Amino acid sequence: MSNDFDQQLRDALRPVDPDESFTRRVMSRIANEPTRSRRPQRARWACVALAASVLLGIVIFHHWQLQREQHGIEARNQLIEALRVTGEKLDIAYRAINEDSHPGAGESSRT
Amino acid sequence: MIPTDDSLLAARAGAPAAFTALVRKHQRSVYSLALRMLTDRHKAEDLAQEVFLQLHRSLHSIESDAHLLFWLRRVTTNRAIDRLRQEPRYVAVSLEACTDLESERHEGDPLLQRRLREVIAQLPPVPRAVVLLRYQEDLDPTEIARTLGMPINSVKSHLKRSLAVLRARIRDIAPTDFETRPT
Amino acid sequence: MRTHSRKWLCLLLLIARAATAAPQAQLQLPGFESLAAQASESVNITLDSNLLGLAARFLDSNKPEDAAARELIGGLKGIYVRSYTFDRDFTYPSADVERVRKQLSAPGWQRVVEVHSRKEQANVDIYILMDQGKANGLALISSEPRGFTIVNIVGSIDLQKLHRLEGHFGIPRLPLDEKPSPTP
Repeated sequence: MSNDFDQQLRDALRPVDPDESFTRRVMSRIANEPTRSRRPQRARWACVALAASVLLGIVIFHHWQLQREQHGIEARNQLIEALRVTGEKLDIAYRAINEDSHPGAGESSRT
Repeated sequence: MIPTDDSLLAARAGAPAAFTALVRKHQRSVYSLALRMLTDRHKAEDLAQEVFLQLHRSLHSIESDAHLLFWLRRVTTNRAIDRLRQEPRYVAVSLEACTDLESERHEGDPLLQRRLREVIAQLPPVPRAVVLLRYQEDLDPTEIARTLGMPINSVKSHLKRSLAVLRARIRDIAPTDFETRPT
Repeated sequence: MRTHSRKWLCLLLLIARAATAAPQAQLQLPGFESLAAQASESVNITLDSNLLGLAARFLDSNKPEDAAARELIGGLKGIYVRSYTFDRDFTYPSADVERVRKQLSAPGWQRVVEVHSRKEQANVDIYILMDQGKANGLALISSEPRGFTIVNIVGSIDLQKLHRLEGHFGIPRLPLDEKPSPTP
């Protein structure tokens, strides 16, 4: 039965094509995007050198910041997961109590 | 038609025809994901265009065909979730609005399939994305977790709860089918 | 003699203080390491006040679930979760769970909800720690045939906000009273 249901879901969600002119519209938007202008070779290399010298200083700071951010994001993810689990179990309790108020919808006992 | 792997290489080198081939190859999947997330053809096409625009800008970071697939699914679902979060939550979708979401003709119960699409369209953004990635894109829970950047336990929980909702909602269509079995 | 009397007085004061001391909101939760190895899924989360503060800095107010989390954790000092799921029924030793329950018989803790859901085959007990008229701790123990979950929340809790978690974090609102729309 579960496999039938899964198959029905797959059948219901078979992908569909966009408009025939979709690709043309995408390529048209890409063509209209502003392009980078060419710079003289010398100026370009000067920019690269400047960027490289600044980059070294930024890399160390960025690494430290990244680690701190990773710890923070991990803590945030754990918090969301903890609240999700809590909400899920509260939901079971809530529905069991509600089933008690709507006999026939399900069965539960309560003190 | 240029083979896909070569299309990616050629597109990264800046060949428009190669990028066009990539768009044609993946537009169905991207558009369908967007459509079933946003339940509006115009919004879906707009989002799908933006995804390919972003792909064009980010081609240098795409390493392989598999990476490209992952990238497209991730960007499409994340953008769709962000858009849905800016809209009123849990807006009920009428049956008439769902006519645009119909799949091509194939075997099965069309009424049931229509009802399924309607109920899926009522799920909150994240569970909706999980169901679509599972049953439209045929990803397993590990791949879904990676695509959406969430723990695998969360993916399994979303799937379990969403399927329960779907079964309950369609019971009036096919009351003897799809009974819930204990897990 | 005077020194002796003073010592007794100090000891009596300490005992009196202990008797009226604030009840413990944070439970001693086992690590359940051996269970984690056997579990098909496990969630082990320990967020003290420092980590909660760090997490709060990375909550995005533009995301509804992050905004809901931020609203909830304002007065909290800790959140602790132990949740394990197994492949077969009743394979986990209940003694570990009972050791946690025993702590909830301490003064101040009150069991406010005790439900059994036959549909989910789950028992859910919810305890609140009242301290001077305020809820300063929450404990939730959920037992199912293939797993259990213990949640301990320490700090000032708004129970209404906690219940409104349903609908956030991707948990669909199950419309118990809502009938499906009629088919054409």
